[in-house]
Amino acid sequence: MLHPGVKLCAQLLLLSLSWGGTHSTGGPGSTLPPVVSGPPLSSDVRSVVFKGESQVEEVQVVRPLTLALECTWTGSQDRPHNISGFWRKDGSELADSRRPVLLENQQYNLRRAFSITDEEGLGNYSCVFDNQAEVDFILAAPRVGEVRDRPTVSYVGDSVVLQCKMEDTKPRPNSWTWYRANGTNKELLDPEPDSPRYHIHNHEGKTKLTVRNLTEADSGAYYCGAVYDIGVTLSRVDLRVITFLEPLKPFLVIVGEVLVLVSLILLYERTKAHGTHPDNPLSDDQAHKLTPDDAGGEVTDSSTRQRKV
Amino acid sequence: MPQSPTAKLAHTPPDGGWGWVVVFGSFISIGFSYSFSKALTVFFKDIQQDFDVSYSEIAWVASIMLATMYAGGPLSGMLVNRFGSRPVTIAGGLMCGLSMVAASFGNSIIFLYVCIGLIGGLGLSLNLNASLTIISKYFLVRRPLANGLAMTGSPVFLCFLAPLNQYFLSNFGWRGSFLILGALMLHCCVAGALMRPLPSAPVPPVENGSPRGREAGTQGTKLKSNCWSRVKIVDLSLFRDPGFIIYLIGNSMFFFGAYAPIVFLSSYAVSQGVDDFSAASLLSIMGFVDMFTRPGTGLLANTKWIRPRIQYFLSFAMVFNGTCHLLCPLATSYPSLVVYAAFFGIGFGMVFALIFECLMDIMGPLRFPKAIGLVTIIECCPMLLGPPTAGALVDHYGDHRYLFIMCGAVILTGGLFLFVMNVYNYHRIDKKGKAKDQELQGDDVPQQERALEHMPEEGPQAPGPGGDETGPGATEEDGAMGEDGAMGDHGRRSADDSRKRSQEFHDITI
Repeated sequence: MLHPGVKLCAQLLLLSLSWGGTHSTGGPGSTLPPVVSGPPLSSDVRSVVFKGESQVEEVQVVRPLTLALECTWTGSQDRPHNISGFWRKDGSELADSRRPVLLENQQYNLRRAFSITDEEGLGNYSCVFDNQAEVDFILAAPRVGEVRDRPTVSYVGDSVVLQCKMEDTKPRPNSWTWYRANGTNKELLDPEPDSPRYHIHNHEGKTKLTVRNLTEADSGAYYCGAVYDIGVTLSRVDLRVITFLEPLKPFLVIVGEVLVLVSLILLYERTKAHGTHPDNPLSDDQAHKLTPDDAGGEVTDSSTRQRKV
Repeated sequence: MPQSPTAKLAHTPPDGGWGWVVVFGSFISIGFSYSFSKALTVFFKDIQQDFDVSYSEIAWVASIMLATMYAGGPLSGMLVNRFGSRPVTIAGGLMCGLSMVAASFGNSIIFLYVCIGLIGGLGLSLNLNASLTIISKYFLVRRPLANGLAMTGSPVFLCFLAPLNQYFLSNFGWRGSFLILGALMLHCCVAGALMRPLPSAPVPPVENGSPRGREAGTQGTKLKSNCWSRVKIVDLSLFRDPGFIIYLIGNSMFFFGAYAPIVFLSSYAVSQGVDDFSAASLLSIMGFVDMFTRPGTGLLANTKWIRPRIQYFLSFAMVFNGTCHLLCPLATSYPSLVVYAAFFGIGFGMVFALIFECLMDIMGPLRFPKAIGLVTIIECCPMLLGPPTAGALVDHYGDHRYLFIMCGAVILTGGLFLFVMNVYNYHRIDKKGKAKDQELQGDDVPQQERALEHMPEEGPQAPGPGGDETGPGATEEDGAMGEDGAMGDHGRRSADDSRKRSQEFHDITI
C-alpha cells in the first residue's frame, strides 16, 4: 500500500542503553538471549533521516535497548487534517498501536518507542499511514556478510578449517558458537579442550573450527553463531568430505588421454618417416628424454639412423 | 655450387606445413606457461585457511613460479640448444605435472613453494623457451604471424583455466584440483610430441665440430665433448650487440610497468564505485580483447610494410600501452573503465605478440635461444619489482591514479626510447649494409643463397633444428624490444651470400 510518487521521510531515533561494562550474558552453550532488566540509561542518540523511494531501513541491534522509531509522511494530494496510523510487526498489526495522526507543518508524524529485550523483539516493524504509505524497519543483529556459497571440500583422513569472519565494519560479536546440522535440528558443538577431533579458535572477529580425522559422515552443514547480547545470528558453512578416489578418476582419464595422444603423434611421425625416407633424426631427441615414461613408451629406438645426403 | 653456405645452414624454414602444427603445440605450451600462475590464485583462499598463513605468504607461490620461469631462461636455453625443443618440452611438461601432483599432497607452505614455485616454474621455463625456439626454426617469412598465433595461448588459456579452476575447487577441493591440474599440464608433453625436429643438413668434416652436427644425429655421441665445451649457459658476447642492449633496456622498462595495472585494476575500479563483480569482469574484458589482438598483430606485423621495420611497430605498441595507462585516471565510471580495459587489452596484446618476434628479428634463430635466456633472467628484476613498487605508491598516496601514471610514464618512455634508438640502429645497419654491398658487388651469388639471406644468423655456431634457445624470455608481459628486424631487411637487400652475411652480422653488431 504505497503511493509511488510520495516521498516518505522517516526519522529513526535510537536510544542505546549501556550498562556498566559489557558482559556476555549466557554461556556459549545457551541459545536463549539474556533478558536484561534495569534502568535504561540514555547514551548516544542516533537519528537517521530517511528519504527516497526505498522504504526499507535496516537497523543493527546488538544489545537490548529501547528503540524509538519515527516516521514522517508528507501526505497525498488531499491532506485531511486527521488520518489514522498504526504499527505492524512482522506483518500483523500491533494491538494498541492505532491512533489518530494530526497534520502538523504539512507532515504526518508517527512515533513509537519499542523495548527490544530479546530476540523476539527483533523483526520487521512497519509504520503505516492511513493504509496508503508504509515504511519498514528491519531490526536485526549483525550477520556475517560474506557467505561462502560453495561447500568446502576436504578428504577422508585429512583435517579442515571452517571459518567465519564478521566484517570489520560491523560490531564484533562477544563470542562465537558452532552448530552442526542434524536433520532439521542444530546440535551444538561444544568440544572439550583436548578433544581430538574438534577445535574452536576465536580471534577478534574471526572464528575457526578445525575438524580432524575427517570421515564421510562429517559432511553436511555447519553453522557458526555470532553471539551478541541481543541474540545469536547464524551463518552457514557447508562441508563436503570425499575420498581421494574422486579426483583420481579424472586424473587417470586425462593421463590416459595424454598417453594416447603422444603415442599417436609419434606413431604417425614414424610411419610417415618410414613411408618417405629412412632419414629422420627422430631417434636423436627420443634418446634424450629425461624420463622414460609415457612419451618414451612408444619410441625406445635409440639407434641413429643414417641420413641420406 | 659453393659448399659452405648450404653446409652452414641447417635447413630452410618450411614456413608452413607441419609448422602450423608446431605453432599449435607452442600455443599450448606458451598458454600453460603464462596463464598457469595467474590461474592459481583461485585456490589461495582455501590453502590459506588450511595452512593458516597470511595471504601474502600464499601469494608468494605464484610469484616464485613466475620468477623461476624467468630466471630459468639461460638454463633452458642451454638445454634447448643441446637437446632440441621436443625433449625439453616433454621434460618441462613432466616436471610441471609431477610438481602439481606432489603439491596436492603438501602439508606446508614451504612444500608448495618448492613444488609449485621452483619445480613447476622451472618446467614452465623449459616449455616457454623450447616453444619459442622451435617457432624460429620453422618460420621465417611468416614468423611474426606464427609468433602472434602462438602467444595467443596465454589469454586463451587464462580464459579457460580460471573458471575451470573454480569448478575443480568446488568439486574436489584444492588438493584434488592440483592433482587434476597436474594431469592437465601433461598436455605440454603432447605439445612437445608435436614439435617434430627439423632435419638438419649433414655437417662436412671441415666445419668446426659444432653442436649442429651432433644435433643431426648422424655423428652420434662423438661430438658430445665438443658440444659441452662450446656450451655456455650465459653468453656475454650478446651484450656487444647494440640492438640487443636497446631491446633489453626498453623491455625492462616495459616489464616494470606492465603487470601492476593488471594487479590493481580491480581495486581501482572498486575505489571508483564499481561493484566487485563488474570490477572482476574488467580483467576478463581485457583478456578477451587480448585474445584477438595477438593474432591480428601477428598478421599485421607480417605485412610487407611493417615487417622490415618491425621494431618501430613494437615501440608503437609500447607507446600505445603507456598512453593508455596515462589516460586511465580519467576513467571514473564503469563504462569508461571498460573502454580503458579494452584499449589496455589491445596494447598489451600488441606488445606481447611482438616481443619475441622482435628479439628473433634482432638476434636471428641461431642466437635467439641464448638471447631469450639472458633477456628473461634480466627482466626478472623489473617484473618482480613493478607491482610491489606500485603497491607502495598506492599505500603512500592512498590513490590509485599515481600507479597508473607511473606505469604509463615508464612504458611510454620505454617505447619512445626504443623508437629513437631504433631510428639510429636501422640507420647504422643500413649504412653498413650499403658499404658491404659495394664491397661484394662482383660476387657470384646463386639463387639459393639469395633466398637463404633471410636467415643471417644461421652461422656455424647455430645448433641444429632443436638448437634454438628461446629463453623463457619475455614472458609475454615483457615488452621485449626486438630490434633485429633490420637484419632480415638488410639480408633481403644485399646480394651477399649468407656465409658472408653471418660474418657481417657479427661485425655489424660489435
